[in-house]
Amino acid sequence: MDPTALQAIAANNDWVTIFPELLLGCVALVLLALEIVLPVKYHSYLPGVALFGVLAIIPSQIISLRPGFLLEGDTFNGLLHQSHDSQVMRVFFLVTAVLVCLLGTVSLAKQRMPHTEFYHIVLVVTAALMLLAQSNHFVMLFVALETVTIGFYILVSYFRTSPLSLEAGLKYLILGALSSSILLFGIVLLYGAAGNLMRPGHTGSPMNFDELAGFLAANPHNFLAGVGIVLVLSGVAFKIGAFPFQIWVPDVYQGAPTPVTAFLAVGSKAAGFVILLTLVRTFSAYAWLTLPILTLMAAATLLFGNLAALTQHNVKRLIGLSGVSHAGFLLLGVIAAATVPMAFGAVYFYLFAYLIASFAVFGVMAHVAGPNDADQEISHYAGLARERPFLALVLAIGLGSLAGIPPLAGFMGKLFVFIGVFESGHYGLLAVAVVSMVISIYYYFSWIRAAFFETWTPPANAEAVSPRPALTPVTVPLFVMLGLLAACTILLGFYQGPLGDWLAAR
Amino acid sequence: MITATLNEYIILSVVLFAIGFFGVLLRKNTLVIFMSLELMLVASTLGLVAFSRYNHTLDGNVFVFFIFTVAAAEVAVGLAIIVALFRKRHTIQVDELNALKN
Repeated sequence: MDPTALQAIAANNDWVTIFPELLLGCVALVLLALEIVLPVKYHSYLPGVALFGVLAIIPSQIISLRPGFLLEGDTFNGLLHQSHDSQVMRVFFLVTAVLVCLLGTVSLAKQRMPHTEFYHIVLVVTAALMLLAQSNHFVMLFVALETVTIGFYILVSYFRTSPLSLEAGLKYLILGALSSSILLFGIVLLYGAAGNLMRPGHTGSPMNFDELAGFLAANPHNFLAGVGIVLVLSGVAFKIGAFPFQIWVPDVYQGAPTPVTAFLAVGSKAAGFVILLTLVRTFSAYAWLTLPILTLMAAATLLFGNLAALTQHNVKRLIGLSGVSHAGFLLLGVIAAATVPMAFGAVYFYLFAYLIASFAVFGVMAHVAGPNDADQEISHYAGLARERPFLALVLAIGLGSLAGIPPLAGFMGKLFVFIGVFESGHYGLLAVAVVSMVISIYYYFSWIRAAFFETWTPPANAEAVSPRPALTPVTVPLFVMLGLLAACTILLGFYQGPLGDWLAAR
Repeated sequence: MITATLNEYIILSVVLFAIGFFGVLLRKNTLVIFMSLELMLVASTLGLVAFSRYNHTLDGNVFVFFIFTVAAAEVAVGLAIIVALFRKRHTIQVDELNALKN
């Protein structure tokens, strides 16, 4: 190869752009080293080290969003593509990591488990999520996605003394690996189709999204590429828990430790949607194929998620199935984004509102849960408002936002998505969405009702119903976190601030 | 010398992938399911190498190394989970692993 070309490739490896990911990886390694070096009595400071590491990266990442500092364009020879969206999503994943670490301090304290590895894996997975948000090449996408998924296999089965956690881990492993294989086979077919020398517009680098989009535009009805696109979309649909790939959601959400359930619900789902937005843009020449699939998937996901959640008694299964219906709302945004650019912003805003509200709810769940993490019934919340008014208030605000009650942030998120869907003219989908939103209010409010209007009575036959675990006291960092999340949920409903400006700028 | 065409490689790859896919869906033993998952990855690798050879691009060959690495990591974590679960439940038949229910 020509040496100047190699030099150009080397100069394109702009390591500064992935500095946050490198730093996260370093903090993760430092944690493991500190665990070996420090005496056991100092080990309680290790979560603090992880938190401090992530919190230190967030300001630099937010500064890089300012106009003068924003990095845009391809780096690493087209493997990564930095844009304003990917920078915002990197902040999103960093915030998720902070919240997961904070929840980890509550849930892990109830188990006799090694703690440090949990934070290590959370940081590594976060770094991979951030790379995923910038990936512009199928190799990058696959490797980052697998780093995330394999990290999640470990996290889901982290409570390894609990058979339920291990069972959830195994189910996630089998179905996760299945979906990754389907995604991979789709990538192979796209690679083969776009590199075919007999076709017009064939390319030497068919796994690069820009090059692939060029090929697809030149061959809008290639059979092999069509099959590849369907397989890739199926693989991604599994990650976001969209119908008919949602079967793993309730079991895995129930068995996983609560902080991991939160990480799965928010981090993994957001990653899926970031990929989906990129891929739908890449596959825009095949909109005749992708849009009908996504439309059917969105309608089925919305209805299934909400109807299945109606009958749940376990709050983790309930939040999992409600997460399926949220994936349906987000899919609506993705479909609208194919024609209405404003819907891109709506999807991102929805993700932020979902992040804040979900972690408020998961924060309360972590405090109500007992030593058996999989056993969290709605009946355990009876009388919460009297015993812990603060937790009950945060729960009500979080659930209200998830249900989309005005004027909370979740309502604004749904409103923006609905405006996008209306402008793109999918009226049928809009009707399905409104109906499922009404259904969802029922199960969210039965949970709020348990917390506010019911008192805990010991059941007559104590064998049949699991006893209610003692509430965990709220520590200062968790108090600040839950208070901030609740305040943000209310505030974002009234004033969207810079996030709203960014939304409107499209 | 017998040379196979691209189509023959692709058909073989699709057949292997389908065997793996239905193996995951239909078999009851976790270890066999795990083998089927690996078969699906190998089928993808075969497709990649064949396309890479006939399309004269190197990306596919390089990708194979990444897939092998990912598959190895997956097996390491997966077998650890299966062993830990076997110690707790004394079974690896999927239809007996149904403790998570509403």
